Amino acid sequence: MEFYTKPGEYDAINYIPPAESHGTKELWRTFWILLGITVLDFIIYFVMPHTGFRNFIFIFFGIVKAYYIVGAFMHMKYEKINLALVILVPTIFIIGLVMGLLYEGNALTYAK
Amino acid sequence: MWAGGRSPFNVSYGKLMMWLFLLSDAFTFSSLLVQYGAQRFSNVQSPIVTNWPDPASIFNHFPFMHGLHLPLLFVSVMTFILIMSSVTMVLAVEAGHRKSKKEVVRYMIYTIIGGAMFLGCQAWEWTVFIGEGATLYGNQFGITEAGQKVFGALGFGDHFEWQPEYRTAGPVPFAALFFIVTGFHGFHVFSGVVINVVVTIMAARGVFDRRGHYEMIEKAGLYWHFVDLVWVFVFTFFYLI
Repeated sequence: MEFYTKPGEYDAINYIPPAESHGTKELWRTFWILLGITVLDFIIYFVMPHTGFRNFIFIFFGIVKAYYIVGAFMHMKYEKINLALVILVPTIFIIGLVMGLLYEGNALTYAK
Repeated sequence: MWAGGRSPFNVSYGKLMMWLFLLSDAFTFSSLLVQYGAQRFSNVQSPIVTNWPDPASIFNHFPFMHGLHLPLLFVSVMTFILIMSSVTMVLAVEAGHRKSKKEVVRYMIYTIIGGAMFLGCQAWEWTVFIGEGATLYGNQFGITEAGQKVFGALGFGDHFEWQPEYRTAGPVPFAALFFIVTGFHGFHVFSGVVINVVVTIMAARGVFDRRGHYEMIEKAGLYWHFVDLVWVFVFTFFYLI
């Protein structure tokens, strides 16, 4: 292990990348987007009848909100693509799990 | 053993571990929400006609507005509180990049207040829900035809009163799933508030100034934003749909 703990060399445990501020402009923009989508959610809830299309809109808006929270607030847009893929790619399996179990749940209606 | 002489992800060890923890936590919450989805879909006749209780008929209370039909309003206020506290958190992280101790502490205190307000709102919502008879083992929130008639004619802000003949037994896991999912999320908010209090005290005492960086605020921030992220989906699946 001595090869990277020599003084002045890269130290995997204590390495801290230099911090840089991107300013607060983008953060406030993200806030207004999130607030706007939430208000839209509220309006659509009362204006539109309860249909599958309305559910689709709500889920789509949820994914848009998630994109802005992870991208801007959690700073994922500025991380290396390697890190972003390591974190985001496994979540594809969640979508598969959701699809599978909603189908199974629906089948239970008739089995009960 | 990596010996490439540079950080492969260009992040610190602690932040990488926080990301991986959040990924595992995303799976935990997904398993709860998937369970909710499967239970809900097992009570669907066609994609929309369902005997699953309509959240608008249950979570329609607002503090100091007794007896008024105000669906979605209170939970929207809760969402706003959480988004707002996310913004103050990210402003604290930004101030940490500039090593401005005073600003970090100030924004962190705003964030803690936001988290505490959210927890208070959730406690109120649970209290009302339990007061109406919600238990882990049953569900009295199914709507009868008479209830549907009265309820369907209600507009936003109308006066209304539940009568016993409006309600009937509904799908059993409804309240249990609500308690488990919002409870698990609320517990995350609570632990997030505790983490924020700890890092705020550390920042105020100058620990991060001596360390030379405010990386710890970023890690606490990642956790806090994740809690907000989970709420987006809890809000969507429990209240909107």
